[in-house]
Amino acid sequence: MHARGAIRTLGAGRTLSAGRTLGAGHTLGAGRTLGAGHTLSAGRTFGASCTVRASCMVRASRALMAGTAAIVAVGFAATTASAQAQAPGPAGTAAGTTVSNTAQASYLVNGVQQSTTSNTTSFVVDRKVNLTVIANQPANTPVAIGQAGAVTTFRVTNNTNGTQDFLLSTSQTPVQGLFAGDNFDVSNIKVYVDSNNNGTYDIGVDTATYINELAADASVAVFIVADVPNQQTATLAGITLIAQVAAGGDAAAQGTPLAASVGLNDDAVVDVVFADNDSDGAGLDIANNGQGRAALGYEITTRNVSLSVAKTQLVVSDPVSGVLAPKAIPGAVVQYCLTVTNATLLTPANNVNLTDLIPANTTYQMGSIVIGVPGVNPICTVAGFIANDNGSPIVGTPFTGSYDAAAKRITATIPTLLGGTSVAASFRVTIN
Amino acid sequence: MITRPMIAAVLSTTAAVVSAAAGPLQVTSSILAESRAAAADGTTRITLVKPSQITPGDKVIFVLAYRNTGTQPLANVVLDNPLPRAIAYRSANPGSPAPDVSVDGKTFGSLGTLRVRSLDGSTRAASPNDVTSVRWRLASPLAAGSQGQFAFQAVVR
Repeated sequence: MHARGAIRTLGAGRTLSAGRTLGAGHTLGAGRTLGAGHTLSAGRTFGASCTVRASCMVRASRALMAGTAAIVAVGFAATTASAQAQAPGPAGTAAGTTVSNTAQASYLVNGVQQSTTSNTTSFVVDRKVNLTVIANQPANTPVAIGQAGAVTTFRVTNNTNGTQDFLLSTSQTPVQGLFAGDNFDVSNIKVYVDSNNNGTYDIGVDTATYINELAADASVAVFIVADVPNQQTATLAGITLIAQVAAGGDAAAQGTPLAASVGLNDDAVVDVVFADNDSDGAGLDIANNGQGRAALGYEITTRNVSLSVAKTQLVVSDPVSGVLAPKAIPGAVVQYCLTVTNATLLTPANNVNLTDLIPANTTYQMGSIVIGVPGVNPICTVAGFIANDNGSPIVGTPFTGSYDAAAKRITATIPTLLGGTSVAASFRVTIN
Repeated sequence: MITRPMIAAVLSTTAAVVSAAAGPLQVTSSILAESRAAAADGTTRITLVKPSQITPGDKVIFVLAYRNTGTQPLANVVLDNPLPRAIAYRSANPGSPAPDVSVDGKTFGSLGTLRVRSLDGSTRAASPNDVTSVRWRLASPLAAGSQGQFAFQAVVR
């Protein structure tokens, strides 16, 4: 397609042949004919009585002078870069685009060539409302009991053939079959749009609560931010993001939800046609309602447990009295008993380490660490296991014990302490 | 750039709408949609109606009706319909002769004979989406008072 370069006027009686572009600042003089296949860019002036043969969309900003007839701009050329650049995206031709059609005819009457054009018929492309809402993270968000500001990430895509706002809301109604085991609700729920488009929730930066002016075929991340209650039985909370297509066009304010047009088509008005899917197939969303939804879960993976340790001491023997009413004199043997209790029912504590320093003026009695089920005072452990002081595994039990001579510290390790149970560890020292 | 002085001369005297009304050949363009209804015999009857809502992907039917309102037969009648840019050609409507099509507005032929030049200079076979214009030629003169119509199917891009 050739472009007409310098500003010029197409004089009377001239025809601009097919495939030409009349550039900015040109004037198509009176009585001119513009043939099929021409592109007239915005801002062109048509003089009186000009005829533009062919069909096309009327573009904005055309200056039309008095006496103009049958003005339509031309714009097509399947083989040029400009045409490919202007091709609509998957959402299709923008809503509000006027499609006008005019045919032309030529014929001979008694050997004289004549031509004519048809009427111009036109319609306005209506708004085909569609959207996609997806969960934009590979798995549920792992959270801890009592965690504040836990984030789930979604993505909303505008498949409408126009720029739209999207109103955002949430639901904690369990999605059937998707969140088996949903047993708690999160609180303090906020929904924010990824304002800086980095895909990550930034506190204080991503503050918009609705999607503003999302172009056709564009998408944006949306975050749900919520608090996990301090509730020990909590396991899983499903959360659903609901996006509702709303009117675009006002960059400063949130649009109102679109409603499907009812009644007969008005060719000059952009009707609203809902074309969205049933996005969950579970009855909570339905097709053609202008809404889309997706669900994610908050999954408890870290819990706090209530651990407590009790320590008792007992003089076992002394060099004078032996085991009968022993006194704490130098040379006497003293047993310390540490009892750890996990008071959180149903939640095991992992890797519990009991440590204690050997008191001053005493000497650790090698091989005296015993770990096992607590006994009734004064018995520390029942059928306890004697630990190897080097921390190596003990036959018959997962418990281990060790003595650090440099730090004068004993350690008893309990790999798993079930909820509601206790384990005791004892060691002995000799008074110097 | 004088390529069609005869046409320009004719049109230079009057505006298009006026000439269309004044000339012996009347051409009427309309855009319709298919309406499907179950008929009593169990088949589906398709009628053409004024479209209700039209959104991208919808099928529309372009109908060109022509009529010789004069007293002389008209020879070499050619009806040319450049496609609006938002419209993608699909096929002739059932019952209508197939038009010659063009992907550049200059060369017309059946779709299978046309090729499209890509940006890198190579060419490929043209698809219906590449069509920019359709054209029908009447093989025999159009007698005074006679009429007819052509139609093709397209979708909104």
